[in-house]
Amino acid sequence: MKTQFTAFLKRNLALARLGIVTNLEYRFNFIIDAFIQPILSVGIEVLLWIAIFKTVDATGLIGGFGRDSYLAYAVWAPFLGRIAISWMYESMMVEEVVSGSINTILTRPLSFFEYYLSQTLGYKVITTVFSMTVPIAFSLFFDLPVHYERLPAAFILVVYYILLVHTMSFIVSTLGFYLTRVRSFTLLKNLSLMLLGGELVPIDLMPENLSSILLSLPFSSGVYVPLAFITGRGDWDLLYRGFFNISWGLVVAGILSYFLWNRGVREYTGTGA
Amino acid sequence: MSLWQKILKYLSIYRAFFKASFVADLEYRLNFVVLVIGEFIWYSTQLILFEVLYRHTKIIGEWDLHQMRVFIFLILFIDSIYMILWDPNFSAFTDNVRKGSLDLLLMKPINSMFMLSSQRISVSHIPCFFITFGGLLWALNQLPDFNWFKLLWLIFLIPAGLSVIFCGRFALNSTSIIFTRADFLQYVWYSLFRLGLRPDAIYSGALRIILIFIVPFAMVASIPARILLEPTTYWMILWALVLPFILFSLLRRYWKFCLKYYSSASS
Repeated sequence: MKTQFTAFLKRNLALARLGIVTNLEYRFNFIIDAFIQPILSVGIEVLLWIAIFKTVDATGLIGGFGRDSYLAYAVWAPFLGRIAISWMYESMMVEEVVSGSINTILTRPLSFFEYYLSQTLGYKVITTVFSMTVPIAFSLFFDLPVHYERLPAAFILVVYYILLVHTMSFIVSTLGFYLTRVRSFTLLKNLSLMLLGGELVPIDLMPENLSSILLSLPFSSGVYVPLAFITGRGDWDLLYRGFFNISWGLVVAGILSYFLWNRGVREYTGTGA
Repeated sequence: MSLWQKILKYLSIYRAFFKASFVADLEYRLNFVVLVIGEFIWYSTQLILFEVLYRHTKIIGEWDLHQMRVFIFLILFIDSIYMILWDPNFSAFTDNVRKGSLDLLLMKPINSMFMLSSQRISVSHIPCFFITFGGLLWALNQLPDFNWFKLLWLIFLIPAGLSVIFCGRFALNSTSIIFTRADFLQYVWYSLFRLGLRPDAIYSGALRIILIFIVPFAMVASIPARILLEPTTYWMILWALVLPFILFSLLRRYWKFCLKYYSSASS
């Protein structure tokens, strides 16, 4: 049992390293991904919120929060949004299933799910470590209300959320067993997550009924909940609620993926050498 | 070959591209339907963002909600044209460079820039084109005393905005020839494009001047929206007429420069 666990750990660490090395291979690409894109995204959002607060009424508050609170939101939302979404690895997973190159993984003593999960985590870790300097620098520069001591707890929630996102990516890729072209599902899923997660608009600005629905779904735990926790818009209760929502989301997604995968693999005919 | 014959030749090639794309896109119907839904969600998010913000403030930049709706529908309309005509080609650009299929496209006896930018048409964006155009007319109709003759200015302004998007994206993609793998340049493009998704009034000082004259994302929708919503500013129209010529001339030079670095990746 212990040997099995050690083998599992070694294998997944190697896969995570693979994810890191693959992304560091082309450095120009990595610099763009880790620095340039986050700086641009954050800069544009900050400008929008500064413009909005120039015309706000005498209270200086929107939805009960002030300018700095929204700037903190604008600075951290694109950063968390990028961690909590999967474009590249989901496309690779879909491609493996649709093209039939999944054969090489099916014949190895590791699962398709863990093969990509560990690589995704490796990639997320390396980009997070580097790109986190951007929101931290902006937060320090503008002296924004950020509870830095809460960052570790918020990141644990985000990592937990990545597990849910990866399970959803896994579901999308299993659709490749049944359909010839499924790339559109990635687009649909990711856009829905952006909208439901509160990356574009803070959920507490939305109409009350809508915001309570969004907060009861697991998707808000990717961006809004950790962000509200870091910036002080929410407290530990909100964080625990985020963990709970992801947990039931994982159960639902896990059951669905289990059936789709098992049925898909049974019907799948591997072609090619 | 005369200019007229050349135009006819390119139009007939374009018709063939359109037919092929139409058949290819509609071959997988569920995929097509999901794509259309996905695009509607994306366009809705842009509208929802401002609709939610205006629940809490009366003016953003210099515009109220009705004026902002005109701006948003205008940019979505222009974006839908760009998506239909060019986006699938630009999305495949870096892969063409990396996998070596660019060789084949460069060797065709037609203009390489045309070949690389127009081979595929995104049929799934055609519904968005009509919906956003309808939305634009609806938003304009909400304005008191709107002079509908002003819409004629869009004949010049929309091509100018499209030239900014086309040249910007093409130039960014061309850079991938120099660096071999630059997939994430696409994400830089999406970030830069967000500059155009916001009204230029939210930017101030030097940044605003840069966005009008140097990295002219303001030409995509902010300047056209200003022409529609505010008293006509003739220097903006003149700039819209001149800008495409400047951009295409610079793009052509940059494309030739990048091609010097191209080393075929195919066997």
